[in-house]
Amino acid sequence: MGLLGARLYVAFDASAVTGAIVQRGLQGRSLRAFAHAALPAGALDPSGTTPNLVRPEEVRDSLRRVLAEVDHAGVAGTLVLPHGVARIALLEPPVGVDERDFVRFRLAPSLPWPSGEAIFDSLPTGKGRVVGAAVRRTVVAEYEQAAAMAGVAVEGVNLDPLLALVGLRRDVPEARAHVMLGDVAFCLAAFREGALVALRHRRRDRSEGESGRLLAEAERTMGDGPLGRVRLAVSGPGAAALRRELGEVERGSDGAWEWPEAAEASWLSGVLA
Amino acid sequence: MRAQPDFSTSPRPQRPAGWEVAAATLAALLLAIAAHGAWRARAEAGEVKARLAEVRREIDSAQSRLRGLGARTAATEEMFALAAVASEAPPGQVVADVAAALPGDVRLERLSIAYGRTVSLEVDVVARGPEAWDGFLERLEREPSLQEVTSGPETREGEVRTTVRARYVGGGR
Repeated sequence: MGLLGARLYVAFDASAVTGAIVQRGLQGRSLRAFAHAALPAGALDPSGTTPNLVRPEEVRDSLRRVLAEVDHAGVAGTLVLPHGVARIALLEPPVGVDERDFVRFRLAPSLPWPSGEAIFDSLPTGKGRVVGAAVRRTVVAEYEQAAAMAGVAVEGVNLDPLLALVGLRRDVPEARAHVMLGDVAFCLAAFREGALVALRHRRRDRSEGESGRLLAEAERTMGDGPLGRVRLAVSGPGAAALRRELGEVERGSDGAWEWPEAAEASWLSGVLA
Repeated sequence: MRAQPDFSTSPRPQRPAGWEVAAATLAALLLAIAAHGAWRARAEAGEVKARLAEVRREIDSAQSRLRGLGARTAATEEMFALAAVASEAPPGQVVADVAAALPGDVRLERLSIAYGRTVSLEVDVVARGPEAWDGFLERLEREPSLQEVTSGPETREGEVRTTVRARYVGGGR
């Protein structure tokens, strides 16, 4: 265990289950163990409204294989839910208002499920803004139950896009659009002068022409017309092919972002930031 | 530091990290050291207070002794004063001075000498008659070694019996 403690992160997406033990030391956080197990197609379908673990036993099998490869005894676990399960928005709470209450106030009316079934929380992004998120309680419970049955001591649940944003905030000095891809959804974060100014969270359409649709989404988000001077970074599963199609697009940030196809690249970058 | 967002269905307090446990342990250790120090300081303060009370008692005792010594000195001075008076008025000299004032028809029956800050005399006499008594009083009053001569009640039928009181100042002869 690291001098200042360690934590197990277990991330789910449609294609795989990932486990990582991140330890904290005097020189910061580092990755102590990492394991990745593919999921059979269709076993897990990230969604905000419908059951995600379509074939729970297969998901648990993959999770057990992951856990067998990392020494997680005595290490508390945080579950990382995939892109596509949450309603996410960039908000600016009034001064003095509780962030979580404001997120609930703004997001509750737009949820496709009863707001009483939602869990709300927020991530401060600086300059008085927060990224608010809402997840359906039954969806979270599915993942918690699967993890608990596999032997994970769950002490927290976070979202892939929120963890990824933690890693992005620190290394974007100029205007830049980050596309963080999940298996079934993506998150597009627009930064200007180091501040998050816009956020989009969309289902992916992986059919032909996805790169063009992503580019158009980025241009709409940045509000500058053709991206021209704005840099675009793409990471996550399928990112390499999209970058080839888009030409001069960057890979992303340093570190975990350098993994061209890894679904866990985005959230792991945030965990290690 | 704000905790990470948590979407758990049953949020629970996050388990303290290793550094937090270490910091808490260190804080507890420092608290124990501080408490021990405070306890020792309190004990030392008690000892100092006890010592202070003892010193005060010693001071009071010394002052009492000093006051006793002062009183003894006053008594000694009184005693020396009496001795000085007695040395200036020895009984023999007093008797001689009083006898010198006695005429032949007056008889001295008793002479009492009281030594104090002054020398007081009490003289019982018997005179053969009133004339003899009056002559005796005149002689006493003229006697330079005697002052404040007063006579008590007297009987003037036949013999005169009375008591005369006077202060002896000496220096008569």
